Amino acid sequence: MEEGEGEGLQTLAIVLLLCGALKLLHTLGLISTEDRVCDDLELSVVCHRPEALDLLEAQSNFNRKELQVLYRGFKNECPSGVVNEETFKQIYSQFFPHGDASTYAHYLFNAFDSSQSGSIKFEDFITALSILLRGTTTEKLQWTFNLYDINKDGYINKEEMTDIVKAIYDMMGRFTYPALKTDTTKQHVDAFFQKMDKNRDGVVTLDEFILSCQEDENIMRSLQLFENVI
Amino acid sequence: MAAGVAAWLPFARAAAIGWMPVASTPMPPPPREKRRGQDGLIILNVSGSRFQTWRNTLERYPDTLLGSTERDFFFHEESNEYFFDRDPDIFRHILNFYRTGKLHYPRHECISAYDEELAFFGIIPEIIGDCCYEEYKDRRRENTERIQDDEENENSKDMVPPDMSFRETMWRAFENPHTSTMALVFYYVTGFFIAVSVMANVVETVPCRSEQNRAKEVSCGERYSVAFFCLDTACVMIFTVEYLLRLIAAPSRYKFVKSVMSIIDVVAIMPYYIGLVMSDNEDVSGAFVTLRVFRVFRIFKFSRHSAGLRILGYTLKSCASELGFLLFSLTMAIIIFATVMFYAEKGSTSSKFTSIPAAFWYTIVTMTTLGYGDMVPKTIMGKIFGSICSLSGVLVIALPVPVIVSNFSRIYHQSQRAEKRRAQKASKQAGQALVCKTNPTFETQHHHLLHCLEKTTNHEFVDEQTYETSCMEVSLAKASMSRSSSMSSSPHGLSSCCTRRNKRKSFNVPNSNMVAGRRGSIQELSTIQIRERPVNNSRSSLNAKFEETVPLNSEEQSYITAAVISMPTPPVTTPESGALGNCPDFLQSNIVRVSAL
Repeated sequence: MEEGEGEGLQTLAIVLLLCGALKLLHTLGLISTEDRVCDDLELSVVCHRPEALDLLEAQSNFNRKELQVLYRGFKNECPSGVVNEETFKQIYSQFFPHGDASTYAHYLFNAFDSSQSGSIKFEDFITALSILLRGTTTEKLQWTFNLYDINKDGYINKEEMTDIVKAIYDMMGRFTYPALKTDTTKQHVDAFFQKMDKNRDGVVTLDEFILSCQEDENIMRSLQLFENVI
Repeated sequence: MAAGVAAWLPFARAAAIGWMPVASTPMPPPPREKRRGQDGLIILNVSGSRFQTWRNTLERYPDTLLGSTERDFFFHEESNEYFFDRDPDIFRHILNFYRTGKLHYPRHECISAYDEELAFFGIIPEIIGDCCYEEYKDRRRENTERIQDDEENENSKDMVPPDMSFRETMWRAFENPHTSTMALVFYYVTGFFIAVSVMANVVETVPCRSEQNRAKEVSCGERYSVAFFCLDTACVMIFTVEYLLRLIAAPSRYKFVKSVMSIIDVVAIMPYYIGLVMSDNEDVSGAFVTLRVFRVFRIFKFSRHSAGLRILGYTLKSCASELGFLLFSLTMAIIIFATVMFYAEKGSTSSKFTSIPAAFWYTIVTMTTLGYGDMVPKTIMGKIFGSICSLSGVLVIALPVPVIVSNFSRIYHQSQRAEKRRAQKASKQAGQALVCKTNPTFETQHHHLLHCLEKTTNHEFVDEQTYETSCMEVSLAKASMSRSSSMSSSPHGLSSCCTRRNKRKSFNVPNSNMVAGRRGSIQELSTIQIRERPVNNSRSSLNAKFEETVPLNSEEQSYITAAVISMPTPPVTTPESGALGNCPDFLQSNIVRVSAL
């Protein structure tokens, strides 16, 4: 056998080895040639129906017509009857195209989702809107406190407030006037605590919060701002 | 989607209560809600088919027939319904547009009928949803081409309008040889001379037996050089005259000079003139010989005479990327097999496979099943790989040619679809924007919401340029404390969130004069309100019209705006394609034009 034959055989051996390795990897599923898209079928289609109209009317501060209009809009957008966090973030982000509304939307979602189920049903939607639009100022302030209290422990500490304020500033986006400085958020949070934290213990409780807000004319007035939204 | 998201605005506004305790400045007053009409059912009787929908559904798009007061013209008192004497089948799609925000195009409908219905109801076709848009555009293009072909056929048979200038007559004669006898004669004469010239080029290389019985045979060109030279001169004369005449007659000389045919003409006649100029210079005679090769380009002049040639050229041009890909994959196969053959044959003595590039020739010849036989493998491995090479060549080239052709046709359409979609996107968005300017209530409320956010954070929305200028100024002003950051005095107040996009809108033109007056009044009134900054361009002041800071003007403003919007001016859409790039749907366009008033 010539030396050339040997080399040729070597080449053949290497080529065969490579093919075999590829085939092995393919059988093991490490490489796939087809797209696996079709395999991921949406198996679960959640569909939720709200409670009867009479019940909702009793539970909330809306009348029948308003509930009907609200539900039609809700159902149009979410035919399955529930909103999950992703959809919620998308919807909310559409109103704030300049910046990133996803963080604030996340906190908002948690505030709406009172049962912490991971999705907002129409009842949750109505409960929250009922408070925000038709509730007393105390109820509204309670709801807002609940929004700020990220871990729902009954206290707002500086970290939570910083997160909230940062999320709000994120919605502004990059191009603002005056330009955002690094300590803008911190200043804002400090101002907030200055006003709200009566006993200077570093956390704001619900009572402190409600008391401080009631003292502030601007806040009281602005809480009435969205009365006639529906 | 559009309608749906608008339905969530009340919730977003309610959720804004969450900002209130954090806000450092007082909130702006909410926009005055217009009296809400009772949301009743409307009956639409379209040629007997009754459709019913909520009034609010129709009013989502106020600049269409059904959404505006124009529908009152069709109100039928006796039956208390709106009667339209139109096609009910197509109306179904139109009504669905109001319901879902997406316009679909039914494939079985005639494109002209559909277009007519859309035009009647005031809906722009550009908002057809992605699912049906391609089909719609294709059908429309077919239709226009068919109409154009018909028109062309008719036009060519028409009598020449008598008031055409001599130049126009000449151009027409050149383009359409059938228009007059002279043109036909000219056409055939040039064709004849092209053929003669090409034949002369071919024949002059044929070896002729020389008279003096010399051992060396000379080509006919060298033997009858004078004759051939005269023939060449005559042909070039004709071609030059033709080219100059075309140049004179062309309506747009610049465009003519740039066109492919004129370049071919020039390339065809240049070698002769260059040869005349350079014939005595020994150094460049080699280049001169090369130039003669270009004389064969005269054959391309036939493409004026043959439509088929033009089509072939156009097809090749349009398939260029696919052919390139085919070539690339073949090159890959060639390189692989050449490498393998080289290494397989490396050991054998007196092997012709001296290098991989040398093996390329073998691979190409084998794969295309030519098999010249000038290079053959000698080793067993080489023969094995050689046979694999030829088999794969057969498979790759010969057998699945139809499959490859259809594959490429499919791939071509797929890639064209992306291109088409991109090209269509621009006009789509322009059209969508025209429809998007709707629902003033939604806009006012959305503006108010964004304004609340600004008040909460005590910062304003600006666009990129203003932001950068302000950054520069801040750094400049660090030394001097002259610049205050008050919102009222700063000229930066002129910016709004949508300035960047709006600057390019040519739509400003019809609005600018009527807005200019408003701007003054807005400024005056705005000092009273919390909002202090005027808007600097008409688009945002278009929105500003709906702000209730100008209550005395809002009524007439909205009326004017409606009139403006309902004119879909085609020239507007095209230049705005870039500017409106961020308006894929209804909501986005509204957001774009938010003013930070």
